[in-house]
Amino acid sequence: MNEIIVEPLSRVEGEGGITIKIDRKKVKEIKFEIFEGTRLIETLVEGKSAQEDVSITCRICAICTVSHRMAALRGLEKALGIEVPPKVDLLRRLLHMGELIESNSLHVFILALPDFLGYPSAIAMAEKFGDEVLKALSLKKFANQIMSIISGRMIHGENPTIGGFGRYPDSQQLIDIKKKAHQFIEFAEYGTSLVGRLEIPSFFEEETLLMCCEPDGDEYGLMGDRIKISNGEVVDCEDYKKLTNERFCDHSAAKHCLYNGKPYTVGAIARMNNIGERLKGEAARLFTEYWSDRWRKNPLFNNLAQTIEIVWALEQIPVLIDKILKIKKNPDIVPPAREEGEGVGAVEAPRGTLYHHYKIKNGLIEKANFVIPTGQNLEDIEKYMRRAVTEMISNEHDDEQIRKQCEIIVRAYDPCISCATHLVRIEHI
Amino acid sequence: MYHSKKRVGIYGFTGCNGDQLVIIHSEDLLLDFFDSADIKFFSLAKSDNDDSELDIALIEGSISSQEQAERVKEIRSRTGFVVAIGTCACYGGIQAMELGTRGWDQRFRKVYGDNYLSNRTPIESKPIDVFVDVDFYIPGCPIDRDQFFYCFSHFLQGDNPVFPDYPVCYECKLRENDCLLLEGQLCLGPITAAGCGARCPSHNLVCLGCWGHVKEANVSAEFNLLKEKKFSTDEIKRRFRIYNGSGMMKPLKKILGVL
Repeated sequence: MNEIIVEPLSRVEGEGGITIKIDRKKVKEIKFEIFEGTRLIETLVEGKSAQEDVSITCRICAICTVSHRMAALRGLEKALGIEVPPKVDLLRRLLHMGELIESNSLHVFILALPDFLGYPSAIAMAEKFGDEVLKALSLKKFANQIMSIISGRMIHGENPTIGGFGRYPDSQQLIDIKKKAHQFIEFAEYGTSLVGRLEIPSFFEEETLLMCCEPDGDEYGLMGDRIKISNGEVVDCEDYKKLTNERFCDHSAAKHCLYNGKPYTVGAIARMNNIGERLKGEAARLFTEYWSDRWRKNPLFNNLAQTIEIVWALEQIPVLIDKILKIKKNPDIVPPAREEGEGVGAVEAPRGTLYHHYKIKNGLIEKANFVIPTGQNLEDIEKYMRRAVTEMISNEHDDEQIRKQCEIIVRAYDPCISCATHLVRIEHI
Repeated sequence: MYHSKKRVGIYGFTGCNGDQLVIIHSEDLLLDFFDSADIKFFSLAKSDNDDSELDIALIEGSISSQEQAERVKEIRSRTGFVVAIGTCACYGGIQAMELGTRGWDQRFRKVYGDNYLSNRTPIESKPIDVFVDVDFYIPGCPIDRDQFFYCFSHFLQGDNPVFPDYPVCYECKLRENDCLLLEGQLCLGPITAAGCGARCPSHNLVCLGCWGHVKEANVSAEFNLLKEKKFSTDEIKRRFRIYNGSGMMKPLKKILGVL
């Protein structure tokens, strides 16, 4: 029997690996293994206040720190009966876009693109693609500045709190962000065309289900209390357990998810597929140019979806900032209306739908549950690897080629292993 | 070249990867960082990694499985200078906030049930110096970029950097913030190591203690002060423990007799 082991899997966030077992030209086993240590975060937030939770759960992951904070704020504020004023909501949206741009550009240009161009890292890639790497880094830097200004720090900024903000950014800082956003659109479009030119292999394609939050109104966005599925169904986020059906897998510290017994995919590719027709401006043009039916069948298009989202966010930022600047008064922090309640917060993290579910009693958290995007993608990741390997064995590809192809598939999902781990909950029915 | 480049490895154990990301987020400095040293291992950023001898290892995250404990010992055995980066590596981080309360087995079962993981043997999260000698500590949740590069450039010269050993209140005063503790809020500034530039108090928010405790922190004075401000023992204890992992076990035992 032949075994291909990739460990540690590089250029992904967290500690994971791939094991492929091949027996007489047949795939015996394919595992995307997750080795990250267990942190038991859901048990750590029990007995904590809502504000303490926001600060603890954002630390589940440094790349998705803002999304965890947003999901926690949404879930906890629902539970506590808090409605934040428009200025707070708009600033949070701006912050969320900062994270999206940062995470998407880190993934596409620094972590994933070297695969397609044949380099071990973006640093090595810089020799021939110096301009692209430098511009991608400056785009990332800009996005980090947005997070730094709004949240108080690039990573785990504490400024967005339950009910509002500790301090509001100066108007001048916002005007600077607006100006810079305009300047980066050209590079983001170029980035999209660069990724759009890449040859995407089709031999492992198969249609899958795609899920994402459906924002209120008719705009593209990263938050919503309803979940839209590519088969046309729409489900309230409170019913998230019906959608995700987490189950334990002994090779993964992160639980796998299935919807009606079927694997599904979340992330930029799902958002583009399900609500891409809501895009406007340059992002809409790019969507029309690049989107095809293949996006429902091939996760590698996630990279392209992420670049179009960067264009969307850069176009949206000036619109948001204009709205924020119109509201002169900085609202005070809204206090909780009650000390008991329950709430589910669903947001789109860069790599897909993230749920935080809380029960609060006497002002302290009684129970918490989190469902993480990468956990939801694990079944599809293994499914597409299995299809690719099966096909490649029959076409006499060598182990090295198989290993590379599997890494490319896993990486396309932009897995976030820190997030995905330790967030497993076994339901005893 | 008078001397060859220092061989450096960057490793991540259990945590959020935020400290390694701070290095990647250094954008302008990132290419220089890769140029200034011979980066042998940095699996978050590159594919061509190897486990060879190192002059410097930068280690993020706490140790939360037997396999990780073996791995960190193995890294130590081939490394000249080991640096713990981030509060998880230094003190255990948030996942070690219940350290010493003996509730870990129960909490593990609550999350994973009676299932077991086939590929790892989990243990309660602990800082890396429980398993190996650490030559330098750079705390922070996450680490501060400027503080990190200041230290790193010293390491490259074979030097130990001068490091602040005063509480974050010092930085807070320099920023001319109003004292939140005086306003009656549960601020951990007086017992928390400086290094962040008093970020949270500068946003009108209390210090949560994410840098870990300052050397020789007067924990009992802070405890009594907060009691005077009418905070309950439970609440004070809870706050003290969130980021301090192994760092609050002794002082709390001393004050309260129990954890």
